[in-house]
Amino acid sequence: MDGFPNFDEFLMTLDRDGAIAETSSRAEATLSRRRLLGLSLGASGALVLGKAATGRAAAGLSAVDVDILNYALVLEYLQASFYTEAERRGALTGLTARAAKVVGATERAHVEAFRKLLKSQAVKRPTFDFQGTTEQQQPFLKTAVAFEDLAVAAYKGQAPKLQSNAVLAAAVGIHSVEARHAAWMRKLFGITPAVNAFDQPASRAKINKIVASTHFVVSKPQLKRRKKPNFTG
Amino acid sequence: MRPLVPEVTQHEQGSPGNAISRRAVLGTAACVGTLAALPFVGRLFRLDDALGSPSKAQDARILQLVLQLEYTQVAFYEQALKQAGLQGDLRAFAQAALAHEREHLAAIQKALGAKAGAKPAFDFGPRTKSAEAFRRAAIALEDIAVAGYNGQATNLTKATLAAAAEIVSVEARHAAWVRAIAGEVAAPDPVDKPITAQEAARGLHEIGMRA
Repeated sequence: MDGFPNFDEFLMTLDRDGAIAETSSRAEATLSRRRLLGLSLGASGALVLGKAATGRAAAGLSAVDVDILNYALVLEYLQASFYTEAERRGALTGLTARAAKVVGATERAHVEAFRKLLKSQAVKRPTFDFQGTTEQQQPFLKTAVAFEDLAVAAYKGQAPKLQSNAVLAAAVGIHSVEARHAAWMRKLFGITPAVNAFDQPASRAKINKIVASTHFVVSKPQLKRRKKPNFTG
Repeated sequence: MRPLVPEVTQHEQGSPGNAISRRAVLGTAACVGTLAALPFVGRLFRLDDALGSPSKAQDARILQLVLQLEYTQVAFYEQALKQAGLQGDLRAFAQAALAHEREHLAAIQKALGAKAGAKPAFDFGPRTKSAEAFRRAAIALEDIAVAGYNGQATNLTKATLAAAAEIVSVEARHAAWVRAIAGEVAAPDPVDKPITAQEAARGLHEIGMRA
């Protein structure tokens, strides 16, 4: 992505040991398609992913890692869209406007990196309705704090489940950046940037429930392209 | 080698004579051989070569590195709160960070039990003597902690990785917090690059670990 050559470079250096390119027979053998479908369809709420992937995983990623990366991608879509919309509306001022610009560019870079990794298996961007929170500074900051704290907890919950070392190394590097964002937005909102000595992880079920409660996601992310709409005149 | 901790400027230091001599000391000590000969720093220096697949024994070796990181942070904030004349936001930050680092240190000491290494000696020089020198060094130290933890993620067992992940994001919050206090961009990079144990050891020595 323009302005962030370092990120691609970073992912490439992570791939030096060939971990991204390595085949994933182990994961494919242990994780049946039925279980993957169960994972995808079992959770409730707006973050439920579309149909589970069939066929080969993108770039030799294991099915488990593809699943987790798509989950992370949805959270990144959510954040990127939020900051982009806030920036376009132009309601933010001063240090908050600058922070939103920097963080938005970063979240968009995360989206691009995940899409590049997942290739054709990347879920499509859902449609969002931020319920007016991008139109005023204080509601924006409050929502940004919630999103960033949520992202930190989500990455923390998934990191130990990742199978590829290359993906794990990238994920922890993003995890700590989300924590920096969380602290920054908290400072701008006027609350303590680091409340506790230990940040707790959150399960996917919990994250999905929280995101669903916001009603920000108005269309579910889809794995496969929808059929063309019927001609309606 | 690019320093991981910025040089202390004469302006921050107050006394120009000391600035020059300190620079000379750091420059000389930064050579790999000298650092590797120091007991604490040297042990961290050799850690990378000893790493293989994750195991409980390897977790313990990595936790010794993390232990030194946390010892350094606790000592740094303790000394700065006494000597740097911190006020306002910066003082509140240092107090909160110190409380967190003490909890991290206690958790790692508990995990290592009797194997936990002793506290090394420190000489933070002018970095704990003025607010601005402290602020810049705190950014560097927190960034070293984040990169140091991240650098070990793939070397840890999953259970220890999960525990370390609860700490590293707090270090990242500290790094952003202290940047934001001066109105700086608090998260300058889209992804945090990891560092090796050897780089972390060099960073800890640059900031003041002296054994």
